[in-house]
Amino acid sequence: MNADDIDAQIRDLAAERRLPPSHLKHWLAMDSPSRAAFFDIARALRLRTGQLVTALDTLDEIAVRDHVTIAAILDRPELRRIAKAPGSAPSRATAMLQALRTLRYPRLRKMQEQLRAEVSALKLPRSISLDLPTDLGSDELTVSLRVRSAAELAQLLEVLGQKQTGLTRIIEMLGGKI
Amino acid sequence: MKFALDAVFVEQGCADSALAARVMRSLPPDVPVTHVADAREVSRPRAGASDPFGDGKRRLVIARRKTPFLMPCPAGSSKFACCGYLVLTLASNCPMDCSYCFLQEYLADNPAFQVYANFTDSFDELDRLIANAHGRSFRVGTGELADSLAFDSITGISRDLIEFFAARENLALELKTKTDEIENLLAIDPRGRVLVSWTLSPDAVYRSSEHLTASPTARIAAARAVLDAGYRVAFHFDPLIAYPGAERDYIALIDELLDIVPAKQISFISMGGLRMTPRLRGAARDRFPADPMLCGEDVLTADGRFRTFTPLRLSLYRTLAERFKKAGAEIPAYLCMEPASIHQHVFGAAPVRPATIGERLARS
Repeated sequence: MNADDIDAQIRDLAAERRLPPSHLKHWLAMDSPSRAAFFDIARALRLRTGQLVTALDTLDEIAVRDHVTIAAILDRPELRRIAKAPGSAPSRATAMLQALRTLRYPRLRKMQEQLRAEVSALKLPRSISLDLPTDLGSDELTVSLRVRSAAELAQLLEVLGQKQTGLTRIIEMLGGKI
Repeated sequence: MKFALDAVFVEQGCADSALAARVMRSLPPDVPVTHVADAREVSRPRAGASDPFGDGKRRLVIARRKTPFLMPCPAGSSKFACCGYLVLTLASNCPMDCSYCFLQEYLADNPAFQVYANFTDSFDELDRLIANAHGRSFRVGTGELADSLAFDSITGISRDLIEFFAARENLALELKTKTDEIENLLAIDPRGRVLVSWTLSPDAVYRSSEHLTASPTARIAAARAVLDAGYRVAFHFDPLIAYPGAERDYIALIDELLDIVPAKQISFISMGGLRMTPRLRGAARDRFPADPMLCGEDVLTADGRFRTFTPLRLSLYRTLAERFKKAGAEIPAYLCMEPASIHQHVFGAAPVRPATIGERLARS
């Protein structure tokens, strides 16, 4: 297929999905291998409008930051694996967007994993939950207790007291001691 | 004049002003001058311009300001621990073009570079402020909606400002800039009442994002020159951008700064992480699609702005704060547009009230 054919198919898909004109323009402005590689993914995973927009934006930001082409990003083994994996197109589309987000936010993902590991290591009872801030967008740790009696409350508070060192560590990590 | 202008517009009633006369004397002969009845007509985005905001930067409008010159810093909010900064708006927009600049959103509907012919009216506002302040001191800056010095070679406003502030005990003027346009400053004695501050960024940010500005090395050299001429100096590490390698680059930048300007001679430092509303982020990405500094690990936070995720942002703040602490001088420092809890994490103490910090910085 030549470049004109690809562009025509991109336009057809964009029209079908009602892709915003700014995103279509962006797609068509990519280098030829990137245009084609993204079209293949969009078609294979049957990306919906919102998914197309998110994928285009995320890929563009990774490409700018890492000084690579979108074709090179989509050729990464973890993304090729998702594209070719068995399973439904919607589940692969979701997995693809998650993988792109991991590439877009590598240090955030690593930090979230470290914090989750710290939370897990506390081995808190199920009636105490620790919620990390969404996307680590703040320094606030939410601690929730579920109790049905004063005795239960006293017991959970005692547990929290015993875990103070680990909890402090998590709060300090959220506060930038990393 | 270091910055190019496409056109100059003079509003009716301003042609005979001292400011207009200065501009006309300094203007290159090939820049067309047009007289207009109402400056608003030529301050709006120009129809058909491919980059209306960038186009506005090259159109100088000499107009009369009809609203007060003095106002609290527009970045202030009860959500943040603020620094008590007062803004004196003598100009609007900036000839330099930083990719992350908030003016791309703030002045999107009004992008022409405006200077106010009646700027000396602001002196009456300032005198009224101190008359009612019962001995309090204030830090007043002209570098919020414009660079304080970018067009000083043609407007000469800094001379009037410095002479005014030098004679007033309770006012400190802050001239905030990314230029090295300090010639006018070197000819005047500020009598200790004028602070010149520079925004400093590592070379990687300067090259990628701070178009038409002076290099970080040139800014530091200019700081040394004004310090030697009797001015106080301060530095803003704002926006801090947490790109890969940022920590190393910021430390190198601070080392370069401290080699030229001793820590004990720095009046204060401020830090502020890159923050952008979704609208600003969109505008910045549209205007500077290839700038990697706009593609950091920023997430949408509770105040509706994209910021570097909190632990990474705070880690960078801590690195800078610790480097300055190691320099051995107690340099006053504050964070811009951050809540009190973030101050606590970074400096180990809660911030003081805006009025108090404003007063301290005015006297520092």
